[in-house]
Amino acid sequence: MVKTEMKDSRLGPEEKLFSGVLLLNAKVVGLALGVIFGLGIFVATNWLVIKGGSRVGPHLILLSQYFIGYKVTFLGSLIGAAYGFALGTICGALMGWIYNRLATFRQ
Amino acid sequence: MDKKSAVIIGAGPAGLAAGYEFIKQGIGPLVLERSGTVGGISRTESYKGFHFDIGGHRFFSKNDDINRIWQEMLGSDFLQVSRLSRIYYQNKFFNYPLRPANALFNLGPVESLLILLSYCRARFAPQPEESSFEQWIINRFGERLYRTFFKTYTEKVWGISCKEIKADWAAQRIKGLSLLVAVSNALFGGGQQAKSLVEQFNYPKYGPGMMWQRFKDHINAGGGKVMLNCEVSSVRHDNGRISKIVYFNGKEVQEVSAENFISSMPISSLIKLLKPQPPAEVLQSAEQLAYRAFIIVVLIVDKAVLFPDQWLYVHSPKVQVGRIQNFKNWSRFMVPDQSRTSIGMEYFCNENDPTWNMPDHELIEFAQREMAEMGFGPASQVIDSYVVRQSYAYPVYDSTYEKNLQNIRNYLYSFKNLQTIGRSGMHRYNNMDHSMQTGILAAKNCCGERHDLWTVNEEKSYLEEDRTVREIPTVPEKVLIKAFARMDKFAFATAFGAICGLLVFSATMWIISRGGDVLNSHLRLLAQYFIGYTVTVKGAFIAFGYSFFWGFLFGWLFAYLRNLFLAIYIYRIKRKAELLSLKDFFDNF
Repeated sequence: MVKTEMKDSRLGPEEKLFSGVLLLNAKVVGLALGVIFGLGIFVATNWLVIKGGSRVGPHLILLSQYFIGYKVTFLGSLIGAAYGFALGTICGALMGWIYNRLATFRQ
Repeated sequence: MDKKSAVIIGAGPAGLAAGYEFIKQGIGPLVLERSGTVGGISRTESYKGFHFDIGGHRFFSKNDDINRIWQEMLGSDFLQVSRLSRIYYQNKFFNYPLRPANALFNLGPVESLLILLSYCRARFAPQPEESSFEQWIINRFGERLYRTFFKTYTEKVWGISCKEIKADWAAQRIKGLSLLVAVSNALFGGGQQAKSLVEQFNYPKYGPGMMWQRFKDHINAGGGKVMLNCEVSSVRHDNGRISKIVYFNGKEVQEVSAENFISSMPISSLIKLLKPQPPAEVLQSAEQLAYRAFIIVVLIVDKAVLFPDQWLYVHSPKVQVGRIQNFKNWSRFMVPDQSRTSIGMEYFCNENDPTWNMPDHELIEFAQREMAEMGFGPASQVIDSYVVRQSYAYPVYDSTYEKNLQNIRNYLYSFKNLQTIGRSGMHRYNNMDHSMQTGILAAKNCCGERHDLWTVNEEKSYLEEDRTVREIPTVPEKVLIKAFARMDKFAFATAFGAICGLLVFSATMWIISRGGDVLNSHLRLLAQYFIGYTVTVKGAFIAFGYSFFWGFLFGWLFAYLRNLFLAIYIYRIKRKAELLSLKDFFDNF
């Protein structure tokens, strides 16, 4: 998940513990965020499907404006999860990349 | 002169361990010992069947090789002893290591409260300067606890005010403070255990002298020779090599030449014996290295039980005695008659100071008075007594020792066939196992290996050479460093803000690109938070600005809190490790 950038290789390990700057592994952050987004949509959709009612998920269905083919159904939850995973992965990877570039630059 | 011959000065643990290693390598060394007994400061003296140590010596090492050698030498004569040692203060016994309930009970509620308040004061308003031992301890424990448990004993041992002892010394004495090891252990368990906290230790049936006698026999049987009562009078050198050693064996002056020389005699004495003499500044450095001496007054008491401890730390300022050993509690074989007890009243002093120069009978009377004052029985119960003076007992880490020692080391490096080992030989606070390790490594060096003896007992570099020591983090340092690296707040805030901004921007643009009743899209609800936002291209940029701003704030706060909690976590681990290490403090004297 993480890499570190050391200011000075001559520092003792205890100083390194505090002087090291966290670098993110962009791919892993992307994957993690993708899984969270995907699972979030999957669970949220199926929660409403299980609850049932006359109108199932009148607000969540708005996601279909962005995720083409998404519905508040079990099949829709799988489609939404795929979309969520893709979006989360892209966002996470991008965030990791921007963070790393900035953190390295600031070193 | 044999190509692989070796002369070892001193038959203490270091010298004998070097001899042992030479025998293992097929070389018969000559070991010259000044006194009539092997073991150095770890020897066992005997008097009318009573055996006693010069200070107590537990056999416990984190080094597997040393443990193996000890077992090989003594086997079934090694007893396993359950440790009991307490602090004697204000006529009460405090558990050592200190236990809160016991300390609270003994000190009483008022004193305990005052200690707690003093501790809180030190935590919240520490002394800004931390250059002396006194300040170092007060900043960690509070002034009251310092005065109760640290000041008197430390001053008894070193004979100087705690204000004059450098804080560095305290930090050096306290092992196990490696933050990485502490963090690793806190996360994954396992790892080190402070030496004093080991509840059991090994002890030879008849005291440590038994161990060193076995070493002596082993060396003699293996082709080497351990000669007692041989005092080295000069160490001759020529062309950067030690050429011969001159010694007096009690009858005549003798000379011995060898290829390798190893010395465990006090390093300052070695410098003074070198011929030709070293440069004046080296001699001056040797002159300035100080050692603390030690007197043990053995009192044989006609009483079966005095106290159950192996030893007591005497923190009471009313008496001069620093430690009391109860030898039969180390091993019942230390006394010939179980209805009697032999205790060793230990007095720390300087060579030739008034205590050192006190005649034996006065010392005995003094010790008897103090024993009675402490409530261990009247002087009339003492049926016999014996006094031992031990010079060069503790190398003193004063403010100049490092510079002086470095001068001496630099000079001694010029001799290709001379190595110094052991506590006195290196002017370093080595325990028995460390001293033995230096001896073994020195002997290996003579056989072609390359070891830096000065890294022994300097845990980190020592570990890199010798993986048998287990005081290492349970996970690699690099992994820990990566895991605890701080997050760059600005970078994370910017990255998070950018992603939030891009998401809302893209969402708005997506709706616009799809066409239809764009302005009535549900996305317009964002205007409740982002004033001025509409589902338009302009609105997309406004949304980006708002989202970036809030995302930046949230990201910065997240990174800040992450770093803060991590720092608090590390601080707590370090404090805990520090406290655990300090429990070991008095055992380091």
